[in-house]
Amino acid sequence: MTGRQWASGVGGLLVCLAVWQVLVGSGLIEYDLLPSPWTIAAGLSTLVVEPAFAVELGHTLAATLLGWLVAVLAGTGLGALLGTSPRARRYCLASIEVLRPLPAVAFVPVALLLFGFSLQMELLVIVAPALWPALVNTMEGFAGVPQRLTDVAATFHLSAGTRLWRVYLPAAAPAVLVGMRLSLSLALVMAVVAEMVGNPEGLGYALVREQQALHPDLMFGYVLVIGVAGMVLNGLLLLASRFALPGLFRRPVARWDSA
Amino acid sequence: MQGGVSASAVFELRNVAYTVPVREGQRDILRGVDFALGAGEILAIVGPSGTGKTSLIRIIAGLVAQSSGEVLFRGRPVAGPPEGVAVVFQDYANALLQWRTVAANIALGIERRLDRAACARQVERCLALVGLERHAGDYPWQLSGGMQQRVQIARALALEPAVLLMDEPFASLDAMTKASLQDEMLRLRGETGASFVFITHDIEEAIYLGDRVAVLRGRPGTIAETHGVGLGAVRDQVASRAAPEFLELRQRLHGAIGAHA
Repeated sequence: MTGRQWASGVGGLLVCLAVWQVLVGSGLIEYDLLPSPWTIAAGLSTLVVEPAFAVELGHTLAATLLGWLVAVLAGTGLGALLGTSPRARRYCLASIEVLRPLPAVAFVPVALLLFGFSLQMELLVIVAPALWPALVNTMEGFAGVPQRLTDVAATFHLSAGTRLWRVYLPAAAPAVLVGMRLSLSLALVMAVVAEMVGNPEGLGYALVREQQALHPDLMFGYVLVIGVAGMVLNGLLLLASRFALPGLFRRPVARWDSA
Repeated sequence: MQGGVSASAVFELRNVAYTVPVREGQRDILRGVDFALGAGEILAIVGPSGTGKTSLIRIIAGLVAQSSGEVLFRGRPVAGPPEGVAVVFQDYANALLQWRTVAANIALGIERRLDRAACARQVERCLALVGLERHAGDYPWQLSGGMQQRVQIARALALEPAVLLMDEPFASLDAMTKASLQDEMLRLRGETGASFVFITHDIEEAIYLGDRVAVLRGRPGTIAETHGVGLGAVRDQVASRAAPEFLELRQRLHGAIGAHA
């Protein structure tokens, strides 16, 4: 985005906030539990300095990252296997297509039954749905490696390990990264869901607690914090991938095959 | 090395046929392909599209198996890509590892075989062979098409191959780049002593580069005729292309391809 686009975007946001402030502040809309942006900001500023807040944020981030890590390791590993082996695909694709569309929140009662109100329950609720984007994108990335590159690997007599790490993985990396990003945002959502209904810790539980304590300003504050956490995690992942794969992001998209 | 088949053939194809399954049965791509490649020779194979040129090079390279017939490299049947044979593909953008620098691409085939210093020396030597010394640290996508194709050639030469298989390597380059790469290839042949199978759909390119020109023709494709090129070892973009031998052979090849295309 250019500076001008940024400025316009921020401007639009400010106008929305101003309208909200005026509507609530002037009493044009009367709704006891809808605080004005100003009240939310004030609540947020008292919230973030409390030691308990750091614990809540830390818990949610740790659960998100741990669950995401498990999902990504399993998902990319399986995805790489399925993407490179047509036989594995033939046997597994049907199972994946049956399991994948199951709604993520449907795992919550299952996880509760298995693990009760615990971190294990939260991790299961995160890992089960976050696995699929990593798996499916990695699989498609590996399956889509141009035949020319497999020809090159074969005629240069590269070992299986060299092929995987130095040819196929970098070639599939853009798709793998897409899967990792989708998994990460899903992991955060599922962590919050698990904390709201299951594991009584972290930002999700705090959100429900403030709602039940009739502190709508703090509740909205938590919503905001969760949103920002998602943006920051996504940004950090993008930054890390650009740093790890410098040659990747400016390569041309030219993909053509000779007759 | 002109005309005739060398007694010491590097590659030999005997009655090679290639068939692929399609929905209603199978399609014949190649049938009854016979030829031999002599040591140090450039055999140009020219043919219109759809005659199985790329299938032929994939069979010689050991990337796919022929359906019947024999493919011999140094007298032994080819099963998988043989050692000492390097391939240069037409689509350099896919064939190069776009996330690796030019030097790292050239090192691809040797980095696990040679120690670090020897590998660096070989990369440097091959960069110099194709005139890319100043681009060692660039990524392929930063280079022009001609330069990327040079990288692919250097990467093949780094293996010090006895045979280079080239599948329409200059087909997607502009005329000037094409001419300079053709001359470079002739010079490299002189310096390395390698043999070449050079596949092209360009009749003039086939004559200019080839010691012999074989015509691949028909569906399924087969080698219809082979001609020695009487131009001598030293070629010149202007003089050779104006020589009576060149013009006469060009006319014959046009006739051979045109009449049956």
